[in-house]
Amino acid sequence: MPLFWFVLLPILIGVLTYLLGADKSKYLTLFFQAFFLAMAFINFSNIKLQGAVSENLGGFPQGIGITLYCDNIASVLMLLNIFLFTCMIVFNIHKNYMNKLFLFLFLILQGLLNGIFLSNDLFNLYVLIDLATIVVSILIMFKKDSRSIYDGMVYLLVNIVAMLFFLLGVGYVYKIFGVLDMGLIQEKMNLVTDTRVLILPYCFLMTAVGLKAAIMPLFSWLPRAHGTPSAPSIVSAILSGLYVKGGLYLFIRIQNIFEPTLKTQSLFLLLGFFTAIVGFIFALSQTDIKLILAYHTVSQIGLIIFGLSIGHIESYWGSIYHILNHAVFKSVLFLTAGIIIEVYQTRDIRLIQGVFKRMPFVSIITIIAILGITGAPLFNGSISKYFIQRGTTSLLEYGLIIINLGTVMSFVKYSSIFKGSIDAPVHKIPVNQKVVTSLLAGICFLGGIFGAKMIGYLFNVTVIVSFAGYVQKSVIYIISLIVGFLFYKYAYKRIPLFKKIRDIELSFPSLCLSIVVFFSGLLAYMMIITA
Amino acid sequence: MTKFIAGEAVAIALFCIGLYGLLARRNIIKTVISIGIIESAVILYFLTIGFTEDAVPPIGANIIVKTVDPVPQALMITTIVIGVAVTAVALTMFLSLYHRYGTTNWKKVIKKRGEEE
Repeated sequence: MPLFWFVLLPILIGVLTYLLGADKSKYLTLFFQAFFLAMAFINFSNIKLQGAVSENLGGFPQGIGITLYCDNIASVLMLLNIFLFTCMIVFNIHKNYMNKLFLFLFLILQGLLNGIFLSNDLFNLYVLIDLATIVVSILIMFKKDSRSIYDGMVYLLVNIVAMLFFLLGVGYVYKIFGVLDMGLIQEKMNLVTDTRVLILPYCFLMTAVGLKAAIMPLFSWLPRAHGTPSAPSIVSAILSGLYVKGGLYLFIRIQNIFEPTLKTQSLFLLLGFFTAIVGFIFALSQTDIKLILAYHTVSQIGLIIFGLSIGHIESYWGSIYHILNHAVFKSVLFLTAGIIIEVYQTRDIRLIQGVFKRMPFVSIITIIAILGITGAPLFNGSISKYFIQRGTTSLLEYGLIIINLGTVMSFVKYSSIFKGSIDAPVHKIPVNQKVVTSLLAGICFLGGIFGAKMIGYLFNVTVIVSFAGYVQKSVIYIISLIVGFLFYKYAYKRIPLFKKIRDIELSFPSLCLSIVVFFSGLLAYMMIITA
Repeated sequence: MTKFIAGEAVAIALFCIGLYGLLARRNIIKTVISIGIIESAVILYFLTIGFTEDAVPPIGANIIVKTVDPVPQALMITTIVIGVAVTAVALTMFLSLYHRYGTTNWKKVIKKRGEEE
């Protein structure tokens, strides 16, 4: 199947769904998703054999027309995208709000995400991301609660502002290189004699990408959007599991182009580290279970950026594998959180108790996902975190342990919902939800046992898990589990900082200020290192 | 003096004006307008990239004289369309926000939203 169908076909099916009505077309959509999954798999195995392919749209030569480019990482991300969307549709097939408009927007988002993974043209990326922003903001406020209208609006406007930065950056790039194709820009990079001309476009582009990927000062929109009260849980799962990865993928692509000339690795190493730290501190301070998960995404993104910027080949692939793992376990966590919220009718972690008694199945799935995300031995998170750790030396290694300790602490807090007993009958969940959640939880487990093989299979790189190192990491995990538990039990309630952080809420002008601060900080840093 | 009043410099100035509007104004309508200003700045910037003096439009076959670069203009038509769509969506959202909270001020919206919880 030519690459452009991966973008176009979901949108066409979405239109068809809208015309036919959701009742008739729900199962048609599922059938189509299965077909699409098979196609994405064929595409993946072709690229695995032959290497990256590119496709010029409309028959124009490269540099004039728009090019789609699919390498190994893009094909894997596309496979993940289609797989998760299929799971989400199965998960929600019986819900009332799955009407034709919802399916229409949802399928458009799938097509756009594929487009973001495939597109090789900077301006085309701008168009795709802007459209995706509008679609996402409508999906966020789909249940029309007044709080989520505010969240949706802030999300829309902040992202539009960031994308205007991106567009101006694209203008500068076009002025310097005369092309918009990322492959050609990379080729022409060595023709640039004075690297200082690249600073301004790089800063503009990176500000937008940083906002999309939620790097440190720019993450405050993310929890609002991902954890908004009334967004359907599948939308939260897709946003947190996949949509943010679009930003990360852009980060990888743009760093790929500019990094050899501009040397910004150490800056992003630092930013990634602080993003991870700030993310878990915020996660610890929240009481809303969806917000805990949303802030946690920030922390994991920090970890991924940290791993990507170490500059070690195993850390790099570990981070890429962590992108996939995070998509899986974060979707499971958001889906099960959605079920829990539905049953308890509250999102306050202090009011939810006795989940294990009331919903044993959901609890087991959640616990598997928690073990995955905290990096317990034998689960997928441990493998990716192990490989990230491989590239670290003394100081960075401690940093990584602190990050993981924070993750463990926030999930010790999260698991307080399981404790206690409740006088309510056991809640049964529908079969389709059972199937989806246990499938995803199964992947968390299998991805851990066959971790190194999975990386080898997906990305054609050979990595070896050394037994001694893995055992050492497991011991560290157990120690951090104990420390995290003790911290939550004895110290957590005595620290007033957390309560203060909980009440912070940035208004829209302050969000814009954080964008400007990030931009000027990056600019100043670049000016200093190239001076 | 006149060499500073080129399209590019004006575009940067407009960009900064729009940014100031975003940072310093708490009125939601003014925020939307500021985004419009930034967008015009970007459009102006793109159009000046392709501009060269005494160039003709690239229309027709076998052109021997210098032509302007048509790519930025083609791109900007798309941007204008996107801008219209974004403004429309933002204003629609603002309408329903206004119906719920009855204010155009970001700070007051946050305050009322906090009371709701």
